[in-house]
Amino acid sequence: MPDEGNKPVRGFALEGVTVRFGRVEALKDLNLSVEPGEQAAVIGASGAGKSTLFNVLTRNVPLAAGRVTVGGRDLFAMPARELKAVRRQVGLVHQAYNLIPQLSVGMNAALGEIGSMSNLRLIKTLLLGPDAGLTARVSGALDRLGLGEQIRTRTADVSGGQQQRAAVARLLVQSPGLVLADEPFAAVDPVTTDRVIETLAELNREGATLLINLHDVEVARRFPRVVALREGGVVFDGPPEQLTEERLGEIYAGETPGSVERGPEDPEVSGGVTPRKQDPARRLEGRDGLPAR
Amino acid sequence: MASPHAEGRPGKEIGGAIPRFSWKSSLVILVVLGATGWSVVGTGFNLLELLTSGDPVGRFLSGMFPPDLSGAALQATGTGIMETFQMSLLGAIIGSIVAFPLAALGTRQNVLVGSSRTYRALLSIPYHLSRFLTNVFRSVPDILWALIFVVALGLGPFPGTLALAVHSAGVLGKLYGETLEAVPSRPVNALHSTGASGLGLFLFGRLPQAMSGFTSLTLYMWESNIRSATILGFVGAGGIGQQILVSMQLFNYSRLATLVAATVVLVLLVDRLSAAIRKRLVN
Ligand SMILES: Nc1ncnc2c1ncn2[C@@H]1O[C@H](COP(=O)(O)OP(=O)(O)OP(=O)(O)O)[C@@H](O)[C@H]1O
Ligand SMILES: [Mg+2]
Repeated sequence: MPDEGNKPVRGFALEGVTVRFGRVEALKDLNLSVEPGEQAAVIGASGAGKSTLFNVLTRNVPLAAGRVTVGGRDLFAMPARELKAVRRQVGLVHQAYNLIPQLSVGMNAALGEIGSMSNLRLIKTLLLGPDAGLTARVSGALDRLGLGEQIRTRTADVSGGQQQRAAVARLLVQSPGLVLADEPFAAVDPVTTDRVIETLAELNREGATLLINLHDVEVARRFPRVVALREGGVVFDGPPEQLTEERLGEIYAGETPGSVERGPEDPEVSGGVTPRKQDPARRLEGRDGLPAR
Repeated sequence: MASPHAEGRPGKEIGGAIPRFSWKSSLVILVVLGATGWSVVGTGFNLLELLTSGDPVGRFLSGMFPPDLSGAALQATGTGIMETFQMSLLGAIIGSIVAFPLAALGTRQNVLVGSSRTYRALLSIPYHLSRFLTNVFRSVPDILWALIFVVALGLGPFPGTLALAVHSAGVLGKLYGETLEAVPSRPVNALHSTGASGLGLFLFGRLPQAMSGFTSLTLYMWESNIRSATILGFVGAGGIGQQILVSMQLFNYSRLATLVAATVVLVLLVDRLSAAIRKRLVN
């Protein structure tokens, strides 16, 4: 399969998707379509079904009803082989970094390639380490994230922010066509948030579709398209300008006030004029043009 | 203020940590007491006998002093100790080598959501097979394995070592398997979601996270084997037990004293050594 290097970009569509956990309906008749190369932010109150939406897109939870297509193919009908091929092109970033703490930072980054390794190559990698080509890509990715020094350090021994960057390095090594980021900036310092956003933006410029789940509405406003979930369904889908206070009130209705993270100042006067430490995305906007395309 | 009904309502108080009186708990106590009495009668358990029949006990104890420190006795002790040590070490090493594939196959696989029933059934065949083997190896005690191997292969340390290896393979197979399954699953699932195969998940997801647990379990197995190896000689399977048995049968209590003291020292030394290694490796 010619899947080295340039990977096809992946859009996806959900039609009438329902997901049940016992009596809980995490997603209810949800419709959402994202074009290849697009970037969209997902917001919604706790329990609205954001993480479940991400789990559906990797076929990690069963559907009760509906259809999910990724790259035009029915995700839940495809055989295991094809699913593996699709999964190789889907990159995940999580709030919890999902690294193997006992392995080195470099090896964790190299695992971005694990989906395309044959059994023989797996064993070779286990015994001898990654081959020259993979090693070059790993050190390139780590250098880009300022982690070149830590390539041989045990992942458990590096700081939380460095672990988050190692997770992004894994993403770079994988070079996916569709990036799913589930709250990648929660509990992470501003410098790391900067780097993660930059890297995601770069991947998007190279052609990857980006779906990012954010707790912070103000960060979500930087994206050209915002999708809001409530009780398992889409209640808003459009450009951030249409996301009025009234709309936000509906999206987060019933939520305790403290749990909605909004900037203390008026969110409309932004534009990177007064860079604030707690909001690196805002600073970034002026430089990188994220998320403008 | 608390609700006025909260006080004195039966069934709503929290109570202490010890179960209250109930017909169920009294029945349990009665059953335990009954079983204890039954076992005392059945085994002829009588501490008074131990105290009153001072004569044979005293003769046995005084016979042990002074311990036999003659050249012949020391040589017999030395060989026995060495053999016991070698048996326990080899048993643990071979056991862990056999246990590894058993545990690997006996670990539940990540199954794709929406995969077919037959596929799942196929996946479970090696799982059940290795679980079955592990259980057979483990549930037959090592001294019984030793008897079986002595009958099949004759007397000596070789059948004893085999017995330890088989039993260790069963115990470690189960414990390794449990360690592999108890590993934090999120990093493993993350690899699964990026398309990793079963072997990839095992080698790079579960194994690195389970490795330090394996080391520590193998060392425990070695400690346990050194204790077992001291008695396998009673059924003719080598080690210091064989010397102990002979000395007993010849009423050579002073030599027995030397052998038993050496055994105690060996067991304590191995315990210490293994604990020291474990501490170094795990931290
Ligand atoms: N594996 C599961 N088993 C049972 N219930 C689940 C499971 N996953 C999600 N749920 C339930 O589904 C609903 C949606 O959960 P989900 O994790 O998608 O919310 P979320 O929008 O990501 O919330 P948060 O912002 O707090 O992460 C919740 O009621 C949750 O309890
Ligand atoms: Mg969530």
